[in-house]
Amino acid sequence: MSEKYVIEIEKRPWYEWLLWAVWLFTQVVIVQNALASSAELEPRAALISWIAFFALLIVGGVIWFMRRSK
Amino acid sequence: MSDQGKTKLTRRDFLRAMGLGVGAAAITVAASPLGSETALAVNPSFEARHFADAAGRPQRPWWVKTVDQPTIEIDWAKMKRFNEGYKEELGTGTVRGKGFEAYVGTARTEELNAKSAAVIKDGILNNVPGYTLKDQAMNSSQSTRVAMSFLGPQKAKTPEEYGAPKWSGTPDEASRILRAALRHNGAATVGFVELDENTRKLIYSFDPDGKELVFTDDVVASETETQRLIPNIAKYAIVYTVQMSEETMRRSPTPLGQQTTGLAYKRHTVIQASIQEFLRTMGYMGLGASNINALAIAPAFGVLAGLGEMSRLNRMITPEFGPMVRCFVMLTDMPVATDKPIDAGIMEFCKRCKKCAEACATGALSFEDDPTWETRGPWNNPGHKAYFEDSTKCMTYWKEVGTNCGICFSVCPFAKKDKAWIHEWVKAGASTAPFVDGFFRSMDDALGYGAQKDCEEWWTLDLPEYGTDSSGMI
Repeated sequence: MSEKYVIEIEKRPWYEWLLWAVWLFTQVVIVQNALASSAELEPRAALISWIAFFALLIVGGVIWFMRRSK
Repeated sequence: MSDQGKTKLTRRDFLRAMGLGVGAAAITVAASPLGSETALAVNPSFEARHFADAAGRPQRPWWVKTVDQPTIEIDWAKMKRFNEGYKEELGTGTVRGKGFEAYVGTARTEELNAKSAAVIKDGILNNVPGYTLKDQAMNSSQSTRVAMSFLGPQKAKTPEEYGAPKWSGTPDEASRILRAALRHNGAATVGFVELDENTRKLIYSFDPDGKELVFTDDVVASETETQRLIPNIAKYAIVYTVQMSEETMRRSPTPLGQQTTGLAYKRHTVIQASIQEFLRTMGYMGLGASNINALAIAPAFGVLAGLGEMSRLNRMITPEFGPMVRCFVMLTDMPVATDKPIDAGIMEFCKRCKKCAEACATGALSFEDDPTWETRGPWNNPGHKAYFEDSTKCMTYWKEVGTNCGICFSVCPFAKKDKAWIHEWVKAGASTAPFVDGFFRSMDDALGYGAQKDCEEWWTLDLPEYGTDSSGMI
């Protein structure tokens, strides 16, 4: 006799996709700012931009990882 | 079953692709030896296009609005022509040259001059960064200039000498042609103002060399031992800017920083003489400054021509280059299409920012919240609202450090290169939403903009011609 499993898949709301789009756009802007700041010979602005980029990348990655199994 | 055969993008795939995309971009960029050489950065490259309108006016950003009156109040009735050369009998005039001695006294001037010479000598002997012999040599290199004169070289052939009539065309055509000629000779931005009974007051009464500038009904300009005669038919002011290198200005106050302005003035002497000859061959007069800071109050004409706005520096700040320009004026009888002032939110930003005033080593700049009618001394010209500066404090500091100073220019939040998208958005924000100006100023500090840079590092940089970049320019 086979066992039955019920898998519930939660449909993510539309605004979550919007938030990810905002996250992506922000990342693109921050990367551009980091690159452009290097070109502008503004090392501190470039460094802060790179830190912000990687911080947001990690935050995004963690949130994605936590929610992927939902 | 209807989806069979179609490729479906799951949410997981989408997120994975997004993460991988951003990560890949970051790794690509980080691995590149020159991070700027990627598609995400704005590459400095040649960019050509046609003028945006018949008069050659540039297509400016949407947040630069054309207005009927400049963003500072002017009371033309109270304004008088200013004597740029200090006049003992009048007790007024610029702080440059004789003026400084008159304002602070001979003993103090001699003391400061000795100090200035000692600072320079000490810098050379002890290899003080920015003051080394090579920095001083660079500064010296800017003292070689094309001879400046009111009437111009007058060596080019006139239309009569070619047996041809002088050039004729519409004012729009004249403006467009002059813009093209000026840009080709090195000007960054160009505008035109008509001289009327008000704007004539921006022509100096006396040049720095003491010669009087006199308007005359003569149809030919001339010069005597004591006067320079401006024909009334020369009723158009050609105003233009020359870019300065932010990279050297950020090394101020040092001889390396000082040569920034020297280079701009040197380039101006070439531009002026070239356009004087250009106008001569076209059949018109081109009356120029007989020496540096002569003929007219150039920033005032720049503001009226819409090249920029007045600021807390009491200098003009442009939307394109911030304060990193020098502004110059010539007069001509060639009928041109004139321009209007602009409002790009610069003066409003200055009201809240105050970064230049805080950075000024001597407190020469105003901390007032709003511009005032009251001048700070006889070196200021009344008749307009401004953040008037104490020029004697400024000049005293110049002598104490042995060079001129550009700290207020280099810390200005508008003194940015145009590579990062965010700069353009911040300028747009400052123009349309002044309530966020304070935040912009805080971010400017946090990101380290305006901090003085290492002078020795400059000698290792591979920079564009003149240390400026006109590729992104109108």
